[in-house]
Amino acid sequence: MHSRPRPAGLGLRTLAFILAVAAFTAACGGGAGPVSSAPASPASSPAPVATAPPLGVRETAYDPARPAPDLRLTDQDGRPFDLASLRGTPVLVYFGYTHCPDICPTTLADIRGALRLVEEPVGVVFVTVDPARDDAAAMKQYVDYYQAGFVGLTGTEAEIAAAADAWGVAYRKLDSTAAAGYAMAHSTEAYLLDAAGQLRHHLFFGASPELIAERIREIAG
Amino acid sequence: MIPARRFARLGGLLAAALVAATLAAGCSSGSGASVTITEPWARASSAMAAAGAAYMTIENTGSEADALIGAASPAAETVEVHETVAMGSQAPGASAEGGMMGMQPVARLEIPAGGTVELKPGSYHVMLIDLTQELKPGDEIEITLTFEKAGEVTVTAEVRES
Repeated sequence: MHSRPRPAGLGLRTLAFILAVAAFTAACGGGAGPVSSAPASPASSPAPVATAPPLGVRETAYDPARPAPDLRLTDQDGRPFDLASLRGTPVLVYFGYTHCPDICPTTLADIRGALRLVEEPVGVVFVTVDPARDDAAAMKQYVDYYQAGFVGLTGTEAEIAAAADAWGVAYRKLDSTAAAGYAMAHSTEAYLLDAAGQLRHHLFFGASPELIAERIREIAG
Repeated sequence: MIPARRFARLGGLLAAALVAATLAAGCSSGSGASVTITEPWARASSAMAAAGAAYMTIENTGSEADALIGAASPAAETVEVHETVAMGSQAPGASAEGGMMGMQPVARLEIPAGGTVELKPGSYHVMLIDLTQELKPGDEIEITLTFEKAGEVTVTAEVRES
């Protein structure tokens, strides 16, 4: 895939994405991937904000909603955590890693921005894909910084691999000569669950706080 | 008498020569190199964070291509330019939005003559490795960018939440 910014390629990119989602829907019924073949068009999304210019489709809906996979790992205080304990509130689940300087902080800042726009309590669960470096202490330092009550989850390599697989999250270690050490490539979607633990929306990188907030209000209302 | 057609050809040659001369003039002196940096900002980050990020828009107002080849800041031990890119995913339906995204160092970021390159979330970014201080919203940090032709340019980046 061409990776350079293509300011003029919005239409093609969007079309390619819609086709890709359609192909995915046709080819793949497993995992936690979206089952909707009709992603919302950018035109029906809220007006883009200056900090998040539209790059393409930002979400797909799970239609119908389906139960979220289990998620049982270790939280930032070193205690066992079960996602089911958050039933009763909407929850956002996002996989990333703490050495991530761009995508993860951007997404978590957008999620925190969304939480400030809604009245409802919302659980946010950040799951590391880099357990080799992200122990509970690292996760605690990272999620506490946001002061938003985020839960940070880690586990053994095998536990993280199993969780990512159940959620349809891909990740792999990248060899790097960077001074910060290696980087991780990872799926960058956030999953929005309703209070009953059903998967409702799949939000891609760049979804604005306004869009995330609107989806939270919809499923809470 | 020179036929009109030959006249036109001569004119064409003259024009080409003029263009070449102009280009050569632009290349031969350093005066053609000029970059303007607007809206530099850094994301708020704990001093404990492994890495922070700064963003900006770089415009090359000069007549020749330039390139960002290095960066430094008192706010970090090491500063590198990186690019967030879509990574090939085995998952069906993978796309820039839905597939994996990763990161790679960019040793040389070309800024075309008269062109603009945006450093923004999900794309190019200045990676601040081993922060020497907490980046608090409202703070300002200095970042010195080194360009192949324009040399060092220091900007003051405002720290923002997002």
